[in-house]
Amino acid sequence: MTSRKLQRKAHGQRPYFFDDPNVDKLVSMIMGLAGEVSVMHDRADTLERLLQTKGLVTQKEIREFQPSIEIMDERAAWRKTYLSEILRIIEGELEGTARGDLDPYEKAVKTVEAD
Amino acid sequence: MSAESQTQPQTQHSMLAPTDHDEFARQEFVRSYKEYLVHNVHQGNEKRYESSVKPAFEKKHNRPPKDRFEVAKEMTKDPYYQMFSSLLRTSQEMMWSSCQLPVERNLEELNAKVNQVTDGAVKGSLKLDENLATPRYHKAVDIHCQPGGYHNEFADKDASSGMVYDRAVHIYAMAQLGPYNDDIGASIIMWLQEKYPDFKPKRILDMGCSVGHSTIPYAEAFPDAKIYGIDVAAPMLRYAHARAESLNVPVHFSQQNAEKTNFKSGSFDLIVSHILLHETSEKAIHNIVKECHRLLKPGGMMAHGETPPYKNMSPFDAFMLDWDTRNNNEPFWARSHEIDLHKLSEKANFDPSKKIEEMIPSALQVAQARRSEVFQGGDFGGGGLWFVYGNKK
Repeated sequence: MTSRKLQRKAHGQRPYFFDDPNVDKLVSMIMGLAGEVSVMHDRADTLERLLQTKGLVTQKEIREFQPSIEIMDERAAWRKTYLSEILRIIEGELEGTARGDLDPYEKAVKTVEAD
Repeated sequence: MSAESQTQPQTQHSMLAPTDHDEFARQEFVRSYKEYLVHNVHQGNEKRYESSVKPAFEKKHNRPPKDRFEVAKEMTKDPYYQMFSSLLRTSQEMMWSSCQLPVERNLEELNAKVNQVTDGAVKGSLKLDENLATPRYHKAVDIHCQPGGYHNEFADKDASSGMVYDRAVHIYAMAQLGPYNDDIGASIIMWLQEKYPDFKPKRILDMGCSVGHSTIPYAEAFPDAKIYGIDVAAPMLRYAHARAESLNVPVHFSQQNAEKTNFKSGSFDLIVSHILLHETSEKAIHNIVKECHRLLKPGGMMAHGETPPYKNMSPFDAFMLDWDTRNNNEPFWARSHEIDLHKLSEKANFDPSKKIEEMIPSALQVAQARRSEVFQGGDFGGGGLWFVYGNKK
């Protein structure tokens, strides 16, 4: 890890949006992890591409690989799906609302109990 | 680039901090993350507002919320909005971090490269003033959450904030400012050339020019003009000068506060700024417009590019565009979007009948098709239009 030379936290009180600030901190951690997984994906993708073309790969080759515009586009498309999976809970909520799927869960319990 | 391409990468000019494989992948993730929020999450706020928050308010008060403050009171309690905001703030913090890492890794070498150009300037110039005070409105918080702001230095003759900023602007706008981040400048130029084809400014000043990304297109559009750029932050100017020289564009940069410069009265035909005004203060914005009046020749013009004022927006849209005020360290954002521009001109001795208040199209037509075409927090440039406030003298 690079040693810290620059200031890392912006001056100014950070806003927390949830009643419990730990929820915001979890959001930050989850997205941090999501970013690192995305970095790993890109690295694996690079490796595979190099293996395909060369059959042999070095760390230097991976490090210095410059993706083409086409590859950048493909990766952006992959990340869209990936983000969709992680943020599934948000998409699901929007989808449910759009479908009018708003009944309280207890209604289903009562329905099957009376069925 | 293929017609279907979604990517318009930033031009890797010689001053832009190089990234290794993982650093670049990290930055690309942030861009995708921000695009995802804009296109897939943001819209849910309006749905929540229309389907739940607004009806609940109407039930209680027998009327809809009358302004953005009433919307804010309710929306900030909404769990969907809370999650959206938490995600958007996080994306901003990750953006800065991902742009800092490659600069931090190579700081000494990158600074040496910048300062080598500084010492051996060939076309433009750089004049720093170590006695210039950093204005309070840049010290109160680090604007738009860039750690250290524009002005802090972390090494001798440091240019790191400029290096970080140049890359971050590209990611922040999700490439919507073009490969050189110059769309706001290019858009003002396109508008000037269409609307005032006979206007041929000979001396042009860009106020609050930061890394000079919007300054450079003026040199290209008006090759006979002498171009000046001022900013309060030395690290930005060091980088701006090296960047302009490396692109072979002559610009004269100096460290000055736009509220009170050392140029002679009547020095300029055209004075521009690009998203400067919202990063100042109540006193400063008046001082800056007054200074523009002093510096302009008769017949000259000032044109300040910004995002649009709130006045014609619905309370909900104004609330969403206001997200940055509290949540992205932009303390003057709200007030600057609601200020009376007529009075602002008048107080600065401009003739308000010659005031300019216009929405102008983005010059970056290539990107037009994939813009969200709305003004919303976290989607900088997404509207496909810029707002210009100006005045002729």
